Parts: sequence; C-alpha cells; structure tokens
Amino acid sequence: MSEPISRRKVLVDYRISATKCVDCGRVYFPPKSFCDNEGRESRMLTVDYFYKRGEFYTGSMINVPTVKFKGLGSYLTSVVNFPDEGFKIPGRITDYIPPAGGVDVTQFIGRGLVPRFRRTYTGGDDGLVYYSSLNFSFEGEYYPHQEYVKEAPSKERGVPGIVGYGVYLPKYRIRNEGNGILGVMERTLPYADEDTTTFAVEAGKRALIHAALDSRHVTKCFVGSESPTYAVKPIMATVSQVLAPGENYEGGFFSGGVDSQFACKAATDLFIDAAALVSYPVFGGEHVMVIGSDNSQAAPGDPLDYTVGAGAAAFIFGRSDVIATIDHYLSYTSDTPDFYRRAGEKYPRHGGRFTGEPAYYKHVLTAMKTILKRSKLAPGDISYVIAHSPNARFPQRAALQVGFTKPQIEPGLIGAKIGNLYSGSCPAGLAAVLDISEPGDRILMTAYGSGAGSDSYIFTVTDKIREKRDRRVTVTEQIESPYREYVDYAFYRKMKDMA
Amino acid sequence: MAAIVGGGRTKFGELWYDNPEKLLVEAGLKGIESVDNGLGRHDIQACFFGSFLYQITNKLGLIPGYMARELGLNIPILMTEAACASGGSALYNACLGIRSGRFDTVLVGGFEKMTDRSDKIGDDLMFAGDPHEFDAGFTFPGLYASMMTRYIYEHGKGDKRCSDALAMISCKNHHHAMGNKNAHFRREFSVEDVNNSTLVAAPIRLLHCSPVSDGAATLILTSPEKAKELTDTPIYIVASHQATDDVSLYTRDSLTSIKATRLAFRASLKETGMKMSDIQIAEVHDCFTIEEALFLEDSGFYKKGEAWKGIVDSYKEYEGSKHIPYVNKDSELIVNTGGGLKADGHPVGATGVRQVYESYAQLRGEVGGNQVECDEELDTALCHNIGGTGGIATVHILRRGG
Repeated sequence: MSEPISRRKVLVDYRISATKCVDCGRVYFPPKSFCDNEGRESRMLTVDYFYKRGEFYTGSMINVPTVKFKGLGSYLTSVVNFPDEGFKIPGRITDYIPPAGGVDVTQFIGRGLVPRFRRTYTGGDDGLVYYSSLNFSFEGEYYPHQEYVKEAPSKERGVPGIVGYGVYLPKYRIRNEGNGILGVMERTLPYADEDTTTFAVEAGKRALIHAALDSRHVTKCFVGSESPTYAVKPIMATVSQVLAPGENYEGGFFSGGVDSQFACKAATDLFIDAAALVSYPVFGGEHVMVIGSDNSQAAPGDPLDYTVGAGAAAFIFGRSDVIATIDHYLSYTSDTPDFYRRAGEKYPRHGGRFTGEPAYYKHVLTAMKTILKRSKLAPGDISYVIAHSPNARFPQRAALQVGFTKPQIEPGLIGAKIGNLYSGSCPAGLAAVLDISEPGDRILMTAYGSGAGSDSYIFTVTDKIREKRDRRVTVTEQIESPYREYVDYAFYRKMKDMA
Repeated sequence: MAAIVGGGRTKFGELWYDNPEKLLVEAGLKGIESVDNGLGRHDIQACFFGSFLYQITNKLGLIPGYMARELGLNIPILMTEAACASGGSALYNACLGIRSGRFDTVLVGGFEKMTDRSDKIGDDLMFAGDPHEFDAGFTFPGLYASMMTRYIYEHGKGDKRCSDALAMISCKNHHHAMGNKNAHFRREFSVEDVNNSTLVAAPIRLLHCSPVSDGAATLILTSPEKAKELTDTPIYIVASHQATDDVSLYTRDSLTSIKATRLAFRASLKETGMKMSDIQIAEVHDCFTIEEALFLEDSGFYKKGEAWKGIVDSYKEYEGSKHIPYVNKDSELIVNTGGGLKADGHPVGATGVRQVYESYAQLRGEVGGNQVECDEELDTALCHNIGGTGGIATVHILRRGG
C-alpha cells in the first residue's frame, strides 16, 4: 500500500535532510521551520548529511525486530552523532552481522559511521519498496568515507567524454569451488538490504565525488538494468531523488532520464546518447549520468547461478574536465533469442544453444573488428581492451581472436573476481582500466547484450585523469578489500532472492 | 488538591476472554463499590480515561460511547492518549477537572488490551517513537537499550556490577510481586536468570522488560470536601504534574536522564514544599529496568551516575526481606511495592492509574500480605509514569494526612 507519510519521509530520509539556524547554527533533524533558540524570526537553511561522517553515540543489537525488519535477522541500531554539528539521528548499521550470542554494544561507541542508501523494508511482494539513508556502515572498514568536494566546471568545452565514474561492488562474496566456473572464481552478492536501486545510488554517488561535480549540473540520468526493483516505476526517479541531479524545485529536480533495458548492454548503449545530448544545444544541460546496475538474476542451480554477480558502475559524460574522450562508436544489433525472461517470470532463461557462437561471439567480434577497421586502428594502437564478461573466458577468447594480447586484456577482465554484473559488467571493466590508465592511453570497450547487440567505443585518456585520481575508489581495492566477507550458498541464495 | 476515595483494578496478564471495555467496567465497578460510605454510579459526574493503542489493537474508537453504554450514564467522558503515560495523564486531567471546581466526583480509568495482537505489538508500540526511529530498525526495547548502553558506558566504565544492578531491579520487582495476587507474574528470578534470559535488544534481555499485558485500573477522585463525606481515610493528591519532551530519543540533550521526569518531579516538590527524603514509597515507571535506575538519579535520590552502586549495595543488604528498599545514607525508599511494571504487568494505558491505586491501597493499609512495613507510619507516596522514551512524564504525590 502506498502511504503519503512514507512519501513525505522520503524527502527527509533519502539525503538526511535537516534545517540549520543561520543565526545560532543549531541543526534540526527532522527539519524544523524555526529555531527553538532564535524563535519564529529565525532564518533556517536546508542542509543535508548524505555525504557526511557520523559517529556511533549509543545503540542496541536488535535481536527481536519489528515485523517489517524480520528479514534482516539480528542487526545493530545506533543513535548517530554528527559531532561537528551537535545533532543526532537514528540509524541502522548495515554490512554488519552481529554474533548470534549478542555483543557488547559499548565497544562501538565513538566509531565513525558512513551513511548508506539502503532498503528499509518492502510492502510485500506486491507493495512498494522503501529506502532511506538512515543506514550506516563502519568507517574504516569495507566502505570508505569520502568527502564530496565540488569544483566549478571549467568553462572550456571540447570533445564529449567521461567526466567522472564510480563503481560499487558489495562487500559480500561467494566462492566457486575448484577452478571456478568458466573462469569465474568468486562473485559479489547483495546484502539483505541492497538491490539494483541501492547499487545504482552508490555508484552514482562515487561518480559525483570522483568528478567533483555539483549534482545540479547533471540534467539527465539513465539507469540500465535487467533486474529493476519494479516492473513499472523507474529506478531512475529514486536514484535522482537521492543524488539530486538538476536544480531543486519544491522537492523535485529539473532533470530527466529513463530506465533502459537491453540485457547486459542497457547502460553502454546510452553512452553515445549521453555524449550526443551534452553536445546538443536544445538539451540545455552540461552533464548526463549513465548507470549500469544489476543484482544479476539466475534460477537456483542453473549454470548461470555460478557466474552472476551484483553491483553497479556509473559514468558522467560532459564536455569540460573530460578524463577520456569518446573518439569512435559503433553498434551492431540482430534479433537473436539467446537469453530472455518473459514478463512475470522470476528468472531469465537461455534460448537453446544460441549463447556462444551466434550470440556473444558473433556480435562482439563484429563490433570489435568493425570499429577498428572504421577507425583505421590496429590492436597494437590500443592500450586496453574490455569486452562484456558473462564469464571470464568469453571476453578473453574474443579479444585474443581479434589480435589483442593478454597485457591489453587482463586489467579489464574483472569478471573472474566479481562475476557477471550484467548491465554493470562492461562499465565496471572500463572503470578498472581507467583506474590504471595514463594520459594518451587508448581504450576499446565492447559491450554485449542478449537479444542481441554489441556497442563498441574507443576512448582516449586525457591529462585530467591524474587530477581526479585521488577521489576514486578503485575496482581493485574493492575486489581485494580485506573487509570483504565470504558466505555460503544458502546465505547467497537468500540474499539474492531478497534483493 | 484532590482526594482519592476508592479504586479498583483487574488482574493483569493475558486476559483471553475480556474486551477492553469489559476490563474497564470491571475495574470501574470495583472502584465505585470500594468507597467506604457508599457511592452510586449516578454520583459520578465525569470520567477521565487513558489508553494508548485500542484503535489498532482492538479496532475500537469512541470509547466514551462504549463506556456510556456500559455504565448506563450520559456524562462527559474524556479520553487521553499519551502512550504509556495515558493513565497518568488521564489522572492529571481529572485533577484539573476537580481543581477547576467543575466536578467534585469523577471516575479515572486506564486500560489496555494488548495480547490480541501479540504478533504485531512490537511494531505498534513504536507509535510512541518517531517514524525515523522505526525506519532505522529500532524497536521499543531497542530505544531503551540505547539508553542502557550509554548508561553502562558513561557510568559503569567496565564494571560488571553496573549491568548486574540493572538485573537486580528486575529481581527486586519480581520479589515484590510475590504477595500481589493481581500481578501478571509471581515468580522469583536471580541475577543470573536475568543475565542469561533471551536477548531482546542488547544489552536488554527478556527479564529486563516489562511484559505485554491486558488490564484496567480505576480511581474515584473527589474534591477534598466531598471526600470527607465518603470516607474517613481519603488519600490526598497533593501534587499533580505533567511535563513533556521530544518524542524522539535521538533529539534529546541527554540519553541517560529523562528531562520530562525531572521537570514534573521538580514542580511536584516545589508545589508541596517537600524533599525527596520525605517520600517513603514510590511507584516508578520500570518499563525496562534502566528506567527505574534513571528515575533514582532524576529524582536526586542518588547522584547522577551513582544509582547502580546504590542499587547493588541495597540489594545485597536487604535481599530476602519482604520489600527491598533503596538506601542512601539515612534515606530509604521502597520502589514498586507490588512489583512495578516489570512483574505486576504493563497494560500500558492502565499502568499510570494502577500505580496510584497501588500507592492508595498501601497508604490506607489495605494491601494485606504485601503491606509495606515501615519504622514510621506510612504517609507519603510518589507515582511516576512515563510515555514513550520520555516524551511525557507525570508525577503525582499522595499523602494520607493531606
């Protein structure tokens, strides 16, 4: 059931929105229209704490939750203090599973906390999904706290390209036994309160931080996914309500966007549209964000169930402060029924024996070879090559066949450690390569989406990449984080189905 | 000043066969019939009732209409909702009604019928928190547990006896309920039992919590003049105060003290010119044991941060005696003479009225085997009722002598 009270709360809780008295500095959460100290004449500013760092002031380990939180089992709650501002809010600690026998909660007092956008609960299978940012993970563990420093975009306009990017990989992992499945050794999975929408927000948040771009300069947001939270109701609207692209006006934003669907290339297909939009005067905007996000779906026990991952990657496109220009683009599409999910079905299916040769290889190789031919470039002119990773073998085999070598392929071959992120797969590979790229490097990326089609892009890295390097959270540091946690198949399956 | 000339209550517990209005009628008729010199239903000029969740737990509204039908009266009936302080607040309103001169004989009642919705009662109780707390995953025990965590951190400083003190409160209150035939639980527990009971919201365990109960309690309140006609031993309400604070725990200045308690308590002492040491027995709102410890500090009986030490010393010294007093130098205070919320039970809207009924009966010496034995004659009692996590508090001081 949809409740107006929840809708109103969204506006406060998504960004931890508060008001601050201009005269005495006191902060009020939930926001108040006047200050207790200064009275009705006080001037109140709206401020938010979505990017701030809090501290564990006190809390409890909830062992008997309310009915709405039962799916989480036991968890920690906290009264979160923002010491510099002298106010507190209630919060739930996420990405943390307390020991079954209980825990001495006093040990957490004083620990740094980072706000996280997570699902709070759902209204059942046919009800709404509720989210908030009143969730926190411990600072100094898996998810680092990053300041959001905004820099004014440079006035110089050039060739459109990537202005900033962010990847979010969840903390929890599952290992494939032995030598893995098609080269996939381990995979990411959502925690109990994560889903495609929360991944998209996390990746978008990191892209904004990396670009040092004020979110009001982003005027369109595309979210590509094949595991959207709703069949009807845009993820993009939730992501926008949190990330605040465009000018704020009465609780909404002057920006647009759409959810897109084309299996695993739902996001990459729109890279060129983003670049085109920022070059088109009528658009009137300077930046476009494209996010690929998936809690990749697979039926229990299906071969896919051993290659799917979870996470998101976000890219911001613009014409100033570009870290990599888009130099060449090509898409190739045919009606190939290799993989599909009928409306109302829970899991996707493979269409007969189409998967390999007539689907993935045909489209990826055609796109890869043709873009090289049209751009008059040879594999030797390319520094790094990335291809969609349904597993860890396909992209390597395709790239080798075109004439690329292992040093060109390996940095973008992250599927072995995170699984197939579906819409986020190729973008995350691109991000992993950008993490290590130097100015002048040329990158070839070829996405693949079942159904079927491929997008190829050639990017050239600019000097700007060095300036923004300190603000990135690299794909490798997430993959290798000592705070990642491994789970068993039963836990994995439960999380997968909750998301 | 108002006077109590009668009162009644139901047993507290899981009262499977009773409706909320039936509970209130049972307690109300007992109250009316308890008046020494006789009182009829038609002598009641108005009713002041308190309850918290009946609209949700029992799908009822317009309690005045139900009670007009049940009592066969068409008098003014006023409802008060103030979460767990609904009872105390109904009494506060009734005192205003008497003091204003509008009424000289009224029925005050509190009731709650909670066990019908045991599966969702944890969610329902969070109506007394704010929705941000609910959406952050808090439960009501979780909110009090956050106070307990902070108390142990600030004042216990790693000393295990601090946690034990919060268990001893439970043991003491269960011990006090042994002679209370109306109590929800009449069973003794040891400190180990409490510390090993089921984890509810760490550091709160099951035996730190008051139960989910059904029940009702009533008082017959009159003007002091009217009281003299109705009984030789009226009990006077010499102070009746209520104070409020933020509904949300997280917006308060302190999480180890209840401001609404301090304000209502201070106003009560000021009105009567009394000192804390004048209070002989107290009914304290021990919804969770930490709250009883906080009251002992908010009332100044113990210094801030030192209640736990006093509790440990008192419990060890008096363990086994019929009532276990808190002792601080020359002062003695017996808290929750019939078991408090912890053992007598906590039908939330009934609690504030039940506390005053318990004290009224103690001051009149009518409690039978559970009668408090004092060196001095029992004369003064205090009742402290809290709503939510401290969003509201009422304090009433009762005297036998007036």
